Amino acid sequence: MDESTRAGQVSRREVLKKGLVGAAGLTVLPAVLAACSSSAATAAAPSGNVSGNLTGTLKIGSNHSDPSEATGMTAINAAFAAATGLTPTMNTVDHNTFQDQINNYLLGTPDDAFTWFSGFRMRFFADKSLATNIDDVWSAVSSNFTSAFATAVTGNDSHIYGIPVDYYPWCVFYRKSLFSDKGYTVPSTWADFITLCKKMQTDGLTPIAFSDKDGWPAMGTFDILNLRLNGYDFHVGLMTGANKWTDPKVTAVFQQWAQLIPFYTSGFAGLTWQQACDTLVSKKAGLFFLGLFMTGEVATVDKTAVADIDFFPFPFLGNSYDAEAALDAPIDIWMLSAKSPSLTADLINAKAYMNFWAKGSTQVLMYKANNGFIPTANDADSSTYDVLTKKAVSIVSAAKKITQFMDRDTRPDFAGANGMQSFLLSFLGNPTQDLAALQASIQAFWDALPAYVVAPVPTPAPTAS
Amino acid sequence: MSAWAVAGQGTTHNRARRRLKRAGLHVFLIVLAFIFMWPLLYALYTSLRPYGEIVANPTGPFSLPATLNLDNYFSVWNAQNMLGFYWNTAVITIPAVILTLWISSMLAFTISKFSWRFNLLVLMIFTAGNLLPPQVIIVPLRLVYLHLPLPAPLSDNGLMYDQFTGLILIHTTFQTGFCTFVLSNYMKTLSKELIEAAQIDGAGIFTIYRRVVLPLCTPAIAALATLLSVWIYNDFFWALLLFKSGDKRPITAALNNLSGAFFTNPTQLAAVSVMAAVPTIVLYLILQRFFVTGLTLGATKS
Repeated sequence: MDESTRAGQVSRREVLKKGLVGAAGLTVLPAVLAACSSSAATAAAPSGNVSGNLTGTLKIGSNHSDPSEATGMTAINAAFAAATGLTPTMNTVDHNTFQDQINNYLLGTPDDAFTWFSGFRMRFFADKSLATNIDDVWSAVSSNFTSAFATAVTGNDSHIYGIPVDYYPWCVFYRKSLFSDKGYTVPSTWADFITLCKKMQTDGLTPIAFSDKDGWPAMGTFDILNLRLNGYDFHVGLMTGANKWTDPKVTAVFQQWAQLIPFYTSGFAGLTWQQACDTLVSKKAGLFFLGLFMTGEVATVDKTAVADIDFFPFPFLGNSYDAEAALDAPIDIWMLSAKSPSLTADLINAKAYMNFWAKGSTQVLMYKANNGFIPTANDADSSTYDVLTKKAVSIVSAAKKITQFMDRDTRPDFAGANGMQSFLLSFLGNPTQDLAALQASIQAFWDALPAYVVAPVPTPAPTAS
Repeated sequence: MSAWAVAGQGTTHNRARRRLKRAGLHVFLIVLAFIFMWPLLYALYTSLRPYGEIVANPTGPFSLPATLNLDNYFSVWNAQNMLGFYWNTAVITIPAVILTLWISSMLAFTISKFSWRFNLLVLMIFTAGNLLPPQVIIVPLRLVYLHLPLPAPLSDNGLMYDQFTGLILIHTTFQTGFCTFVLSNYMKTLSKELIEAAQIDGAGIFTIYRRVVLPLCTPAIAALATLLSVWIYNDFFWALLLFKSGDKRPITAALNNLSGAFFTNPTQLAAVSVMAAVPTIVLYLILQRFFVTGLTLGATKS
């Protein structure tokens, strides 16, 4: 679907909903539109279609503070201005502060639209009425996304709260040259994986580069082992509190994990992921399980090494859940705030901006600025993708289920430094400890958290208009 | 030296011992100075090195340099709107310092030079306010800022929140207590006769304040101005919590812009930290004299 065909679309439901404004919209044709004043644009954009001349203002909050991402944002805003005549006012706050202050930000005077994450973190604010639903925009663009993305942006109330714009998968990374030098092959089963690790160990390598100083990297391994061993439904249930941490299935995850720990980098609790990544680059370590964003660090250390990086999905365990091929692939989204003082006036502009981000052509602009952001839209031009991205896309599209990473799938106070981060570190420090006691303390921690009603993951809202 | 000799203890043995002691003292002072300078020197050293080199080296940031250049400074300067952040700092710091000194000098004058029913109580309240950790009031303060309207020239969104005005006011509020305390102590040392003489000459209260007391307080005010500038310049807390807009941040809070989502380049961060520290260091070097006076102000009563 391109812009010109979309421009004339006004769905029946929206016409009815918007009453008089919609009635004006019925008469709008793309040719008329260009000549028309602001009222035509108002009428044409109930579902946020990007067309015509938008008037007024649009304030957007962005966490894209890294120089490459900021370049991407500038390009996208310029493209939006070219399409609509409206230049968004951008407020860029660095990623970590943006994340730390999101609650204050949304409760205060937020911008109209803002960058955020899908999954629990999105639903959390939707449930608190701090986000505006964009069902009408979604009904216009949903055909451009797979069902896994639709699930990721659906709130507990079955309304749509975000536009998925990029994602990155978690995989096992390695250096091709190291594998060919030593005659290693990519393992597909757990047994192969362990054999490979043992072989690397005898070759004097650290088989698996691992780090957990920041607390979150270990979560990735827990997620994937739980998905492989117990399946998507159990994992999501565990993250949302429907399943108990004392379940023997969780014990099995820890036991499976314990087999890997002897192959980890020594002293990993004090290492940052960058340091672990550097051992992969310098070929001191053989494998590294992390998100695709690790290529950024590789490029910083040694630009020539990027072409030598390859990856494979975490090995399968030979059970019924192999068919799910599930993995963590965190999705970044754009949302509309609720408390923005200017949102009422800017709503049409903000929805047009959401619609604009749902286009592959927009998302590719960000991808061009930073290869870590893989577009989510079906119509994104994949001819510009590099080898790693193409592979990531094939792995993610083969996945029947996608999770968002533990700290995005569960409540923040549970995933935080006092919660799972420290429980996982405690396990990693002493894998042979009394697992039942550890699991009981995790469950006790969950139970002691202040009540927050967590509904199970909803089915996507009907998207037909 | 001569004092020792006169006292009859100037034997060579004693002199050697004294020399040894002096050398020991100097070694101690040099070591101490080095420890104090260490973070700054280390930041300076790190900022001059390329990140790739640190990573490639097995001893990492502690390794000896192969390359030392200013690339990090140039890349940060070009990538970030550093001048804008310095300007933001100036817009906050300069009015806050002036306002604080103006208010607290008037308060101190009233408290120290006039005897009225509550002057001790008022002084106690201002001093007590000084003891309150600012973090305690952040939640209510934020709500107040979100609900208190502020008209147009002072605010571009009609609120105290996310405004330079709001930040200037909160700095003024928190610093006034300390300044009042120091200035009132200082003003108490001024002789009563001066003021009485001025009164006899027909000076009103404002004339006494402006023409007699303020000029006499110049050393104290200069010292306080130095201290305040450094304190407000170094503020990170208020700027982070009361600003929503990334481009309104002062230089200290803007340092955060360099922490990436997944990746932080420590050499660039070191470069921008050094850049952020330079104005305070320069200020200190120029106004050293006042700085020391400032720290001992109110410590003794003459």
